[in-house]
Amino acid sequence: MSSPNLLSRLWSSVELKLILAWLFVVVGTALLDSNHTYWTDASGASQLIIRRTVLLGFFALGSAIIIISGGIDLSSGSVIALSATVFGAFMILLDPEGFRNGQISRVAVAAAIAGTLLVGGMIGTLHAWLITRIGLPPFIATLATLVGLRSFGRGLAPTLTGGKSQIDFTDTALRNAIKDVPTITVLFLVFALVLWFLMSRTVTGRHLHAMGGNEQAAKLSGIRTDRLKWLAYVLGSVSASIVGIISFADDGSAKPDIMARGYELNAIAGSVIGGCSLQGGIGTIPGTILGCLFLRTVIDAVSKVVGSGADIFEGMIVGIVVVFAVTFSQRGQRISSKRYFDGGIGWTIIPILSLISGLLTMLFFGKQDWYASSYAVIVGLIVAAALTSRAFWEARSARNVTSSVTS
Amino acid sequence: MTESIVSMQGIGKRFAAVKALDGVTFDVPKGSLVSICGENGAGKSTLMKILSGVITDYDGTLSVDGQAVRFSGTRDAEHAGISIIHQELNLVEQLSVAANVFLGREKRSAWLMRDDRSMLEEAGRLLKELECNVPASALAGSLRVGDQQLVEIAKALSLNSRILVMDEPTSALTESEVERLYRVIAKLRERGTTILYISHKMEEVFHLSNQIVVLRDGRFIAQLDTEKTNPQEVTRLMVGRELESIELGERTAQGKKLLAVEKLSLAWPGHARGFRLKDISFDLHEGEVLGIAGLMGAGRTELLECLFGASVLAPTGRIVLEGKEIRPSHPAEALEAGMALVTEDRKRLGIFTAMNVGKNISLCELVSMRSGPAVSNRKEQIASNSMVDKLLIKTAGLQAAITSLSGGNQQKCIIGRWLLTKPKILLLDDPTRGVDVGAKAELYRIIRQLCNEGLGVIVTSSELPEVLTLSDRIMVLSEGRQTALFSRQEATQEKILEAATRGFFTGS
Repeated sequence: MSSPNLLSRLWSSVELKLILAWLFVVVGTALLDSNHTYWTDASGASQLIIRRTVLLGFFALGSAIIIISGGIDLSSGSVIALSATVFGAFMILLDPEGFRNGQISRVAVAAAIAGTLLVGGMIGTLHAWLITRIGLPPFIATLATLVGLRSFGRGLAPTLTGGKSQIDFTDTALRNAIKDVPTITVLFLVFALVLWFLMSRTVTGRHLHAMGGNEQAAKLSGIRTDRLKWLAYVLGSVSASIVGIISFADDGSAKPDIMARGYELNAIAGSVIGGCSLQGGIGTIPGTILGCLFLRTVIDAVSKVVGSGADIFEGMIVGIVVVFAVTFSQRGQRISSKRYFDGGIGWTIIPILSLISGLLTMLFFGKQDWYASSYAVIVGLIVAAALTSRAFWEARSARNVTSSVTS
Repeated sequence: MTESIVSMQGIGKRFAAVKALDGVTFDVPKGSLVSICGENGAGKSTLMKILSGVITDYDGTLSVDGQAVRFSGTRDAEHAGISIIHQELNLVEQLSVAANVFLGREKRSAWLMRDDRSMLEEAGRLLKELECNVPASALAGSLRVGDQQLVEIAKALSLNSRILVMDEPTSALTESEVERLYRVIAKLRERGTTILYISHKMEEVFHLSNQIVVLRDGRFIAQLDTEKTNPQEVTRLMVGRELESIELGERTAQGKKLLAVEKLSLAWPGHARGFRLKDISFDLHEGEVLGIAGLMGAGRTELLECLFGASVLAPTGRIVLEGKEIRPSHPAEALEAGMALVTEDRKRLGIFTAMNVGKNISLCELVSMRSGPAVSNRKEQIASNSMVDKLLIKTAGLQAAITSLSGGNQQKCIIGRWLLTKPKILLLDDPTRGVDVGAKAELYRIIRQLCNEGLGVIVTSSELPEVLTLSDRIMVLSEGRQTALFSRQEATQEKILEAATRGFFTGS
């Protein structure tokens, strides 16, 4: 009795859809990329994607838990930057001699890591206090720390470095050890496994889902919602602190002014692509990991196809992928029965989308040998034609529905 | 004698698994005041929402002035001259009274600028006509409920509505506000407005209406001339025979005292009355059902929230459970002490729509279903299934979505959730609200079965027959005070109603 049920649930799961979409992107890129990097340098390419995915995944998982529990964390990018700065600060303070020589004592490093994670915990506690005791909406509380903590880091760096705005990572051996891809991948998998167990197997995880789905009802069911919020926000900030430590090693310096700027939105995007609902109560850890992997792979794919300078497009890709992922995973709505191009807004958007498609074609492929400027116009016209016919089709089927009701 | 202005032919509507309306057919004579009577869940509000264009998806035919119509929204209904005043008022609290009256059809002057002055004047004139002494520039949110209601009526007047639907308009009004509303209704009728008046208060219905339409379980039962009937007949038609025929079986004797509440009070800062509850004292024994009756706003829900540690402010007074004083400041502490609360608003405060039936049932008792740190699927299934069996919950399985269940079965899931915590006292806040009659009888049997097992039950209800059917003793609240405590033998509908409507503030 349960097997067809299980199969249909698997088929409709976000995770399976993401895996299929991911395979599609990987195969497509391998074919389209003129250097065929995915064939010729498979290990290099996969290392790059894995490192980026892991660095995003750590704090995206923290964000996902906050989102599932009904909140939002806008501060993670700033927490990453501040944590990198704080990590450097701890090492400078604990072993100034070693930091200058590039040979920091291992005890100092361990203490610095512990201290940085503790700072992460303190930031999470601050969020929980602002939200549960002061009564700020999570959006406002973490918006305040988004701007506040980065500025705090910028103030902190010069006082330790004698006026420089960044802290350089001097110990090369340590740097290589921290940014080593297999190590951080294993660390990430362990972290993810613990969080997966927490969210899907423990009482606390069930309570987090319940609180996200219906906070009032959860409280009236005897669930201590304030403590759960504390846990969620501490996990969010600590996971960002971990990324801060790794990023310090990965970048070679902590630049609190520009480091990880805007990353909070990537984390939210990864969670949402992975099936978390911003209304709370819905989402999984494996889904979020796959969401991050998919996002990073698409970004990588575009850079492979477009060539150099592709990082400009990262924001656009995140935006487009989020819109598509959420549009096509809306629950209880068939795409065929939705009316995307209804009314004034619907008709106005068709030329706008066509224009965007044409411009994107030009931007993405403008430097390729085979590109001719007529291609952008052709793509724009094709999109316009496709959307217009969809709009007519929607209008006709809507008329059919109303006439069948009144007759 | 008079032509009909509204005609309903076979109106039907279903919400998921629940049939809210089924083949309702009747005519409303022009210029009359027709009361729509029925118990909670009879379909009164749903029918009126269809008439006023709030619900657009239904079966059957609606005619206005002899023309079949199908509204695609409230705007359509307004054009046809129909306005509705909802039980929960629809005002934008941050805007002024005048802005609310003209919301969505603001007056404009030259250059298409918003003409605030003429809207203020017009709204002020309408309010004066309605004996409402608030400035049209006041914020809607700062008004008392009675005045807010008049703002809605002013809106209907400014629309020149010929048909006005009022959904339990007096449920939150003071006595003097009710009298003012009666005068307004009389004025409207002089102008020839047809009024459809939803209420289950017999006194009002017989005072105001020409005709009475009775609905029950979504079906049309009768249309009576007010002069030719009496409250007893209407009540009988509203309740039907189903309730009277419920045989709840033998009662076991009551056991020792479980709960004593002494002088429980709850402050209400910023309100003229100053308190939500004042000096409530009662006790509860094992195997006893204590019913709490009272009108809307009497403090029934607040009382249960105080007992359960869920009130916004801490109450004063003593709550003694099995000889030990408790002061729960969080529902978790009340749960620990052996209490359980099934909330009134099931959708908002009870169910978790993102979770399936099994998870909804097991939620409060997960800690005991662990093996090691993880929740054991097997133990959880056994526990949830035990409640599905005990309470006869009709579901496609534990994996089914909670929203796929009918209201009564959702309610049973929530009761099951609390029974798993093995409470000593079960607090039920209007447990049969929005539940159909069949499920109601089943819930009654469950409540009886539970108290036979030794549970102490406190149940509130907005329906008097329900309180009378279920309770061993009945406490009546009015405006936050305890006005009566009847034993089962001495309680009657009339006595309860008298105690529930006893006012305190008309004199002082």
